[in-house]
Amino acid sequence: MSAEAASPSHWLAYPLGLARRSPTFVVGLGIVLFFLGLALLAPVIAPFNPTQSFSYEVLQAPGGRFFFGSDGNGMDVLSRVIHGSRYAFGIAVPAGLIMVGIGMPLGLLAGYKGGWLDEALLRTLDVLRAFPTIILALAVVAATGQSLVSMVVVIGLLDSPIFARVVRAEVLTLRSSTFVKAAIAVGNPSWRVMWVHILPNAILGATAQLPMRMAWAVRISATLAFIGVGIQAPTPEWGAMIRQGAEYVITGEWWVALFPGLALMTLVLGFNLLGDGLTDLLDPKRRGVGK
Amino acid sequence: MGEKGALIAKFLLVRVAVSVPVILGIVFLTFMLIRVGGQDPVAMLAGPMADEAMLTALRAQLQLDQPLLLQFANYLFRLVQGDLGVSWQGGIPVWGEILHLFPATLELVLLSVGLAALIGVPIGLRAATHPNGWFDQLSRFGSLAGFSMPTYWMGLMAILVFFYILRWAPPPMGRLSMEVVAPTVVTGSLLLDCILAGNWQALGSALAHLALPVACFTLLAAAPMIKQSRAILIEIMNSDYVRYARANGFSKATIRKMALRNAATPLLTFLGMELTSLLAAAALVEYIFSLSGLGQWGLNAILLGDFAVVQGYVLTLALFSVFIFMVIDLIVMLLEPRR
Repeated sequence: MSAEAASPSHWLAYPLGLARRSPTFVVGLGIVLFFLGLALLAPVIAPFNPTQSFSYEVLQAPGGRFFFGSDGNGMDVLSRVIHGSRYAFGIAVPAGLIMVGIGMPLGLLAGYKGGWLDEALLRTLDVLRAFPTIILALAVVAATGQSLVSMVVVIGLLDSPIFARVVRAEVLTLRSSTFVKAAIAVGNPSWRVMWVHILPNAILGATAQLPMRMAWAVRISATLAFIGVGIQAPTPEWGAMIRQGAEYVITGEWWVALFPGLALMTLVLGFNLLGDGLTDLLDPKRRGVGK
Repeated sequence: MGEKGALIAKFLLVRVAVSVPVILGIVFLTFMLIRVGGQDPVAMLAGPMADEAMLTALRAQLQLDQPLLLQFANYLFRLVQGDLGVSWQGGIPVWGEILHLFPATLELVLLSVGLAALIGVPIGLRAATHPNGWFDQLSRFGSLAGFSMPTYWMGLMAILVFFYILRWAPPPMGRLSMEVVAPTVVTGSLLLDCILAGNWQALGSALAHLALPVACFTLLAAAPMIKQSRAILIEIMNSDYVRYARANGFSKATIRKMALRNAATPLLTFLGMELTSLLAAAALVEYIFSLSGLGQWGLNAILLGDFAVVQGYVLTLALFSVFIFMVIDLIVMLLEPRR
């Protein structure tokens, strides 16, 4: 890195400084943006229609016409992997919004008011902790039908108490701080204290959790599709594609399962790195012991 | 000693009392979840040829035509008598099947968590002593990568490499090779049964079949272990008493020993959480490698709408988790000199 690039006036100074302070954040952001680009431009980039079946070219090895090979239906794996990112974001983003939309007010109220709401939140978390999440998701998705919408809602709902807990913890530490006491002392109504004084301060720490929860949403929806619940086979969703490819692994047609899995892993890793880096940037305590 | 015994007795009593509503909540939740909509077991049991009259008759026979709350009351009434019902698919009593399958899954989980702790905790602690050094960055990336890898995909890729390409692993079907005579069932854990029977050929075969699933599961379990043990130790190293000890001029070795001792209790608590969540995650590993353990059984039951089995499976997981947390909190209580 040249001295010129690091000087404050240079337009690259901020991103470079960020990269030095938290490489995980920058790498994670890069991965997520890459897949977001794939998702947005999928019809333009993908060489074929993801559900177009070339019935004479079933299970072709990678190379030639099909860069990632073709699957058991003669569909192009590369195009399907590219289109799969649309489903990943299509689930993660609305599920994340639901999480925030429900979890944030809930955590804010529970942390600030305490009482029965707080108690109920904590008990719900107890049950969720003892209840295997994947089983819960499986049962709920099986029960509410296999549409994309119901899956998004279920994932968002299941995760919102976890998000609420993060917000609640932030609120608890803020509640006893001087500026909140001052805000109450000058006669602000409690909704104003909560939404105007506490929330903006609590929101940063909670936001860092969002990418990790989105990583979870991508992962769990793919897992459900892999088991055969949720999104079904010809749809180009990564979990469903791995399910399709599973039967070909022991006969050596590895590309059907390998590439969607790689994409899934990379995007989840990207979300996790992003979250990890954000936590680092926002929380000085996690930067480690000073020398 | 008597005082300590009383303390333990009181602790256990309170914990059991607190656990009852949680368990009841889980039982109720499972009961309602699987019944409200979703997989219709009657249609699946009767097959595609059944007409409306047959469906109605079968529904009545399974008592699924009664009001939900009455069904739940009936279930609870039988549950407190120790009757978990019968699997509709196989006609086997659920309780017996749990006893039969649980040791097999526990074997897989304990082996993997043990290995993961042996690998993950030292890495995490080493990373914490040099935060942001190359080792820390590397282990952090590795842990996040392990965290992000879908278990089932990892299993498939392991099968591809070690079974299909290298031919090292046996085919991923079952827990023993076809030509091997299984030992008589004593404990339910195949490895222990082989050793008890002195059947070394079967032991070798069982180990070969377990190697890949345990390896995959260990990687999965080690990732959060690295992250957590690093976080725990860093928090301790940043605490006031360590700073005080450092200011007092204690040697690095002494301080490290002190910190490690204080890391023991949060680590133990985390290990408990890992154990319970992995018992549930075992379902996918067993599914991929066809290990026919508790998890695979429960997973199939959910997909097939075999209500009694799903109930039994979830109840087992919940009881296990409550039990583990009770044991760990008890150990923590006895270890902690405070109070």
